[in-house]
Amino acid sequence: MSEAKHKFAFYLGCIAPNRYPGVESASIKAMKKLGVELVPLKGASCCPAPGAFGSIDLNVFYAMAARNLVLAEQMKMDIALVCNGCYKSIWEVNHKLKHNKDLRDGVNEVLKEIDMEYKGTINVYHTAELLYNDKFIGVEKVRSSVTNPLTGARIAVHYGCHLTKPHKDREFEDEVMLNTEHPSWMEELVAAIGATPVEYRNKMQCCGAGGGVRGYDIVHALDIANEKLINLKAVGVDALTDICPFCQLQFDRGQIEIKEKFGVSYDLPVLHFAELLGLAQGMSPQDLGLDLHGISCEPFLQKVL
Amino acid sequence: METKKEAKHEAPAKQEVKTQAPAAKDAAAPVKTGPSEKPRIGVFICHCGTNIAGSMDIEAVGEYSKTIPNVAYVDNYKYMCSMPGQAVINKAIKDNKLTGVVVAACSPRLHEPTFRTATKEGGLNPFRFEMANIREQNSWVHMHDQEGATDKAKDAIRIAVAKASLLQDLFPKAVPVEHAAMVVGAGVAGMQAALDLANAGIKTYLIESQPTIGGRMSQLDKTFPTLDCSQCILTPKMVDVGRAANIELMTYSEVDAVEGYIGNFDVTIRKKARGVLTPAEAEARGIVGGGCNGCGDCEPVCPVIKPNEFEVGMKPRRAIYISHPQVVPLIYTIDFDSCIKCGLCVTACGPEKKAVDLEAKDEFVKVKVGTAILATGYDMFPVEKKTEWGYKKFENVISSLEFERLICASGPTSGHLVRPSDGETPKRVAFVLCAGSRDNTGNGKPYCSRFCCMYSLKHAHQIYEKIPGVQAYLFYMDIRSFGKMYEEFYYRIQDEGAKFIRGRVANILEDPKTKNLHVHTDDTLLNRPVDMEVDLVVLAAAVQPKEDTNRTRKLFGVSCSMDGWLLEAHPKLNPCGTTTAGVFLAGVCQGPKDIPDTVASAEGAASAASIPIHKGEVELEPYFATCIEERCAGCGMCISLCPYSALALVEKEGRTVMEVTEAKCKGCGTCGGFCPGGAIWMNHFATPQIVAQIDAFLLGGEQ
Amino acid sequence: MVRSKGYPEALEKKLRDQRYFNEDTNPEFTKNVKGISRTIAHMCYQCGTCTGSCPSAPRSTYRIRKFMRRAVLGLENESLTDPDLWLCTTCYSCTDRCPRDIAPTDVIMAMRNLAFKRDIIPVNFLKTVQAIYSSGHGVPNNDVNRAARERIGLTRDPPTTHMYPEYIKGIQKILDHYKLKANADRIVKEREG
Repeated sequence: MSEAKHKFAFYLGCIAPNRYPGVESASIKAMKKLGVELVPLKGASCCPAPGAFGSIDLNVFYAMAARNLVLAEQMKMDIALVCNGCYKSIWEVNHKLKHNKDLRDGVNEVLKEIDMEYKGTINVYHTAELLYNDKFIGVEKVRSSVTNPLTGARIAVHYGCHLTKPHKDREFEDEVMLNTEHPSWMEELVAAIGATPVEYRNKMQCCGAGGGVRGYDIVHALDIANEKLINLKAVGVDALTDICPFCQLQFDRGQIEIKEKFGVSYDLPVLHFAELLGLAQGMSPQDLGLDLHGISCEPFLQKVL
Repeated sequence: METKKEAKHEAPAKQEVKTQAPAAKDAAAPVKTGPSEKPRIGVFICHCGTNIAGSMDIEAVGEYSKTIPNVAYVDNYKYMCSMPGQAVINKAIKDNKLTGVVVAACSPRLHEPTFRTATKEGGLNPFRFEMANIREQNSWVHMHDQEGATDKAKDAIRIAVAKASLLQDLFPKAVPVEHAAMVVGAGVAGMQAALDLANAGIKTYLIESQPTIGGRMSQLDKTFPTLDCSQCILTPKMVDVGRAANIELMTYSEVDAVEGYIGNFDVTIRKKARGVLTPAEAEARGIVGGGCNGCGDCEPVCPVIKPNEFEVGMKPRRAIYISHPQVVPLIYTIDFDSCIKCGLCVTACGPEKKAVDLEAKDEFVKVKVGTAILATGYDMFPVEKKTEWGYKKFENVISSLEFERLICASGPTSGHLVRPSDGETPKRVAFVLCAGSRDNTGNGKPYCSRFCCMYSLKHAHQIYEKIPGVQAYLFYMDIRSFGKMYEEFYYRIQDEGAKFIRGRVANILEDPKTKNLHVHTDDTLLNRPVDMEVDLVVLAAAVQPKEDTNRTRKLFGVSCSMDGWLLEAHPKLNPCGTTTAGVFLAGVCQGPKDIPDTVASAEGAASAASIPIHKGEVELEPYFATCIEERCAGCGMCISLCPYSALALVEKEGRTVMEVTEAKCKGCGTCGGFCPGGAIWMNHFATPQIVAQIDAFLLGGEQ
Repeated sequence: MVRSKGYPEALEKKLRDQRYFNEDTNPEFTKNVKGISRTIAHMCYQCGTCTGSCPSAPRSTYRIRKFMRRAVLGLENESLTDPDLWLCTTCYSCTDRCPRDIAPTDVIMAMRNLAFKRDIIPVNFLKTVQAIYSSGHGVPNNDVNRAARERIGLTRDPPTTHMYPEYIKGIQKILDHYKLKANADRIVKEREG
């Protein structure tokens, strides 16, 4: 697998590179092992955060997302990203601009000031999608790339919201990804890396961080995350995995805040699927920067390593 | 209303416009000639209240009409179709010795017959009438363009006058109507229609695709609001149908092909291979005293077990089966898709009855009927598509039809409502209304399914009746208790203790240990989100037309409306008819209905379907092709082109020429357009007439 | 109906006439909300599926269905001054399930945009604008992270505007086109001095 079959411009967002760099590193290495090359996207900015930014002025939101898209258009490469929030900004704006001339014209009027023009020539993918979709990688290839199966680990999945909702505004080649009520495709990937996927009550609920709520009313946001943590505790899991660094921040740092504000603790390790995949492919916890996590991953690592 | 004196005007002889000359060389030899004098056309413009007058300048149109060649008289009136309006035409024909009439008004689909009659009463042949549609195709779609609408109306009238100038006397052909009718579908609608037709003395073929008649009503336990036992009130009708001398019942059969037209439908019926002989069939094969008597000896020995569709899959049946004990006819059926032909049933049936025939094949039967009624009923919407409610994923989420079978004493649990997961009696039952109805997401039906509010109330009543201490919750957006005694029924059910929560169910989650359900919604009246834990959820799923209806309707030439149900001739004034003459609709296939409305529509359809039969003959519009024998070379190339096989070559006075069977001809124009010798004349749509219209449009008018 | 009763302030507030009157409706508001949200907000039939799906509803007075009602009735002031407007996490569950095919989440975003035009905006949003203006990132890099990045074999700064600050100018131009930074700075100053 020396020659990468697929190449993508790697859109990083903010939280992955600036708070959980292990996600960035693991993604690059794991995808490379699976035949996908993630190439740096020079000069990218915040996607911009759909909740925080879109709430203020949607015109700016479109323009900034379009700027990021144009950077990839200039590279003549499709974008791959690791964050649900970024997916909403980058994929959805790309989709909306492709199909709505009025939005496109509005955006290009602003981009003209910085000598850029959105043309609608590239596509956007979430790395989780690339892992699941047979056209790019597929569950079987993921399974064969595993050298350190996470046997015995009970891992629950937090799907997050913005990747798949609203399903009517999403277009996935794999129709199973359009199921927003009872999906199981991430559980398939968890099983592929040797772990035991665990279902829990109301698994599709939001983490509570989005829409600027984590900044506006942290206690309210944490209570939403706490509901999920209660449900997770009820079934007993070794780790929670996510495909969104913002959700990860909410559950990881959030547990510290929850202990502080609500007086309850779970000590539940929270890992992005890229980090889990990295572990399963033999990367070390050090390589993955797991020491940066708010909640220690030690108990989990004890089990799987 | 303008007086005739002002409107009367002699058409000027000259005019730059040459609307009259038919460009075609074959101007000669119309087959039926009328008086060959100069055309004198009367133009009558309708205001239709403000429907037309509101969008265009009627006066200007009238003034223009006076300038059209061949126009001898112009008038206008508020409602041409009214009695005084008709009188205007009548008088004008006589006073002005008109040779043709043009009415510029609504669509001919609506009033062509009315004005043809007026023309006839004025003394002209009714086919000397031409209609210009300046409403549906003009005023109604150009309401904001007065000038454009007026100009377009002028064009329309000019074109109509050009044709009217060339119209001929035509005489409709009366064809005899076969004294027989067909009803497709034997649910309560089909049965009622068939009984009415039979009682009116009309031989009726009642075709049912299932092995038994009865339809959906057989599957119900009780009916609202009377709480009658459904099968109890239906059985007498079923027995009547089975016994009626005038009803030829063909169960386990489907319509395979339909040819012909009103009064003379040739229908081919596929009698599906039942594998079991009726006494009559056995007799015909020489097995005296043989045939199936419904004894049921065959059933227990059959090794194949399948889900019983009648019980919505909740009870098993064998490959040889009857759906339930009250089937009509009481004849077993073999499901050859699952039968392994082991022959055990043959043995069990015995040498005297010899009713089983494992080698049976589908048979085709041709019958001739005068009229037909479609009563093909409905299916439940596959509500598992709405994944948020967990149907077919969570065991204790069931559909309303499954509830009916569970609560029914003759059902899979003898009428005990139990939870599928553990067989326990539920104490808290949630009824989810509008499950899949009133849904514009594209994954659901946009319409209201009409009877689910009422049967959900009924279901709530039934559990209060049977389960002491039970609590029913109805989650609704609206309670549509629209019919006679329905609101009173709603009152009663609320009084019996049912709790009504006004909120559409957002989603349902299952407790993996107890298999209880958590119903999430917003109590919009209390303004509080709700998490209601219940033991059983019943989804009042939407209804949709039966899948096979799409195939059947096409055979009869019936359209379906935007919502998928069969299209009636007019939603208000003709809900039982279709735009295909001689074909009628009864029951839910035209749109969701409760039982009273279904029976009423069946009676309406039967009444309408019996009229042509009792009249004995029906008039066909004389739009048929005719052969201009002097020109016909007898080449025969037109024969195979006719989609209705209406043409044939015959010998006439030593020559081979083509002849049209007028009753079969639909006037489609295929032959007329093709004939290389120009020897085919299409009545009422003849080439010179059409060309005159085209010329009038392109060459005439104000430049 | 009486709008002002001339009572002392406390009583005026307590006894104010809370009925809905015609003039409470501003049709322009409904139009603006529909324009910005690009959804058929006026078609809501108040079924409650949205609030039934909402994670914020059980733990606050936030009711998306009520905001939809306000959008339909054009109740501008109530909508924009209600602090619950900012409790939507944009999880899109309501939009995912709405049977009328409306996007209630987008209605909230539209209302937030309109509120901002009146300077109604929680300060955390403005802080995000300022961070993006100066660094290009809503959550910028820090030294602890830089060290960690280096340890795991990545560049200290990611190849974003952090590594290529020349791109920040372009971002600033976009934000300035809409006067976002100026407004954000102004409001922050007013609030925090």
